[in-house]
Amino acid sequence: MVALLKPRYREESSFEDTLAAHPDFPRLVALKIDVQRRGVFYTPRAEAAVDPAIHQLRSPYIFGSRDGVIKPLPESLLLRDGSTILVDPTPLEQAPYTVDYRDGRFVLLDEGRELEEVDLWPKPAYYDKQTSTGLPMSHIISARPQRLNVFQSSFCYFWAENEGCRFCDIVTHTKQQRDELGVPNRLRPQDVKETLAEAIKEPGRFTNLCLTAGSVIKGKEIFDLEVDFYIELLQAIGENFTTKKFPSQLIGSAFNERQLRRLYEETGLSSYTSDLEVLNEELFNWICPGKAKHIGYKGWRDRLIGAVDIFGRGNVGTGIVGGVEMAQPLGFKSEKDALESTLSEAEYLAERGVTTVYIAWVPRPGSAFAGQKAPSLDYFIRLARGLQDLRIKYGLSVDFDDYRRCGNHPDTDLARI
Amino acid sequence: MSIELSQDVIELLNDRDTIKVLASVDGNGVPHAVFKQSLHLGEDGRIHSLELIESSTTGRNLVGSIWFERKVTILLRGTDKRSVQIKGRVLKYHITGPLYLHHYNAVRERLGDVDLAGVWVIEPEQVIEQSFKDRRATEDAAHPSFIHLDRIAAH
Repeated sequence: MVALLKPRYREESSFEDTLAAHPDFPRLVALKIDVQRRGVFYTPRAEAAVDPAIHQLRSPYIFGSRDGVIKPLPESLLLRDGSTILVDPTPLEQAPYTVDYRDGRFVLLDEGRELEEVDLWPKPAYYDKQTSTGLPMSHIISARPQRLNVFQSSFCYFWAENEGCRFCDIVTHTKQQRDELGVPNRLRPQDVKETLAEAIKEPGRFTNLCLTAGSVIKGKEIFDLEVDFYIELLQAIGENFTTKKFPSQLIGSAFNERQLRRLYEETGLSSYTSDLEVLNEELFNWICPGKAKHIGYKGWRDRLIGAVDIFGRGNVGTGIVGGVEMAQPLGFKSEKDALESTLSEAEYLAERGVTTVYIAWVPRPGSAFAGQKAPSLDYFIRLARGLQDLRIKYGLSVDFDDYRRCGNHPDTDLARI
Repeated sequence: MSIELSQDVIELLNDRDTIKVLASVDGNGVPHAVFKQSLHLGEDGRIHSLELIESSTTGRNLVGSIWFERKVTILLRGTDKRSVQIKGRVLKYHITGPLYLHHYNAVRERLGDVDLAGVWVIEPEQVIEQSFKDRRATEDAAHPSFIHLDRIAAH
């Protein structure tokens, strides 16, 4: 069965052939992209070598995994250049990369060929602790090697109206985490405050924190309630710091100027991101029907641009699901057209101070695009290079969302040199 | 190709009074050299260097070294004037984990409120004695004709 399905990726140029066409592109970043694209499978020997006392196992996350199950597997991987690969376990029949344990080290393999030594993420000290209300702290804030994730709520009101983004499995996964792990639907600020206080006791471990959640459309004006939730949470978080502002990122809905000013002035938030998901109005309308209905593509984009006046250039970004512009049946048919369209729109944003970052599209089993195929590695390499070139052209930094403070964007890895 | 450093070079590398220079190049081939007193031998037999300034030119160049296999050079000069050059390959960058944490704590204890971006691991590939006496002997043996004639004139 494995042999029959593997050609799914093997129809493409090999990794080495693809990379040979991009001699100025770092091999390790290309490998990261390809691993994100194809996923990983942990061999039984690798699983046996995982030590839960020192390795971080999978903790609650906003999105689900390609195997659709929650198992105590490693959270993810580190490459030897210090960059992170955020990748989830993937069934063998989907032809993922393999992580094995050989000669006392974890290694990444493709078809049995050893490619790189990799490290598992170290477990943060606070993962063994509980809040005063008895909740495991790992359920309140999840860790990356250098960042803390606060998933305030995984519920998205667009889903309630059956208008969730088509690539997204946020609500499916929320229900699964709640039922199987007991992860709370919504976080209490006090639990977050306590967990953060414990997390940042660990020397040298974390450099920023990121808050995100599903969209909450309720309130006097749309998203007022979502903003209220974030302000309450950020104020509780801020009590843990000696400075008014602290390195942080909020990935939220497209807030209006009044809401953004409140966030900036009433909290220590230092950067703002709101995801357009796909940089094309027609595809946005199809792929993100909830966002399109309530705010619209141009409205969402204008609000991002407006945020630059409040948070400053280099502190406002938008995330896209790289490759979803080729989802079928309505997406682009050619990678060339998809790339041109995406980079053209990213340039419009960059000119106005908004930086664009991507995550590689993974057609997840809990999403409407389950079973589709992401674009080629070549496409993702060109997209990464194109987005970073725009940052250089328009003098935009991406410090708040780089290899260390996020780790999920191959394009921002390129900002390291 | 990785080599093991000899004991005398290790002592020179680990001596706090040795002057230590790390030279790297950027993507355009522009060289950059800095004093790097944190260079020392790690327990893995490789050379470790602490990066205190994350976006420093050296830091960016060493990322390029990992990505594009660009070599780096380390120059050591001991209190006895002995000079050694080590050429190496940047192998790894620790930004988290036990090794990183050890150095994070140690450097803050030593220098106060500073940050540590990461710990570079450099695999030594070649050691060249740079002392004039050694370099001259090597040159004389390899290129006996590289000499001004007045030095061997009979009168």
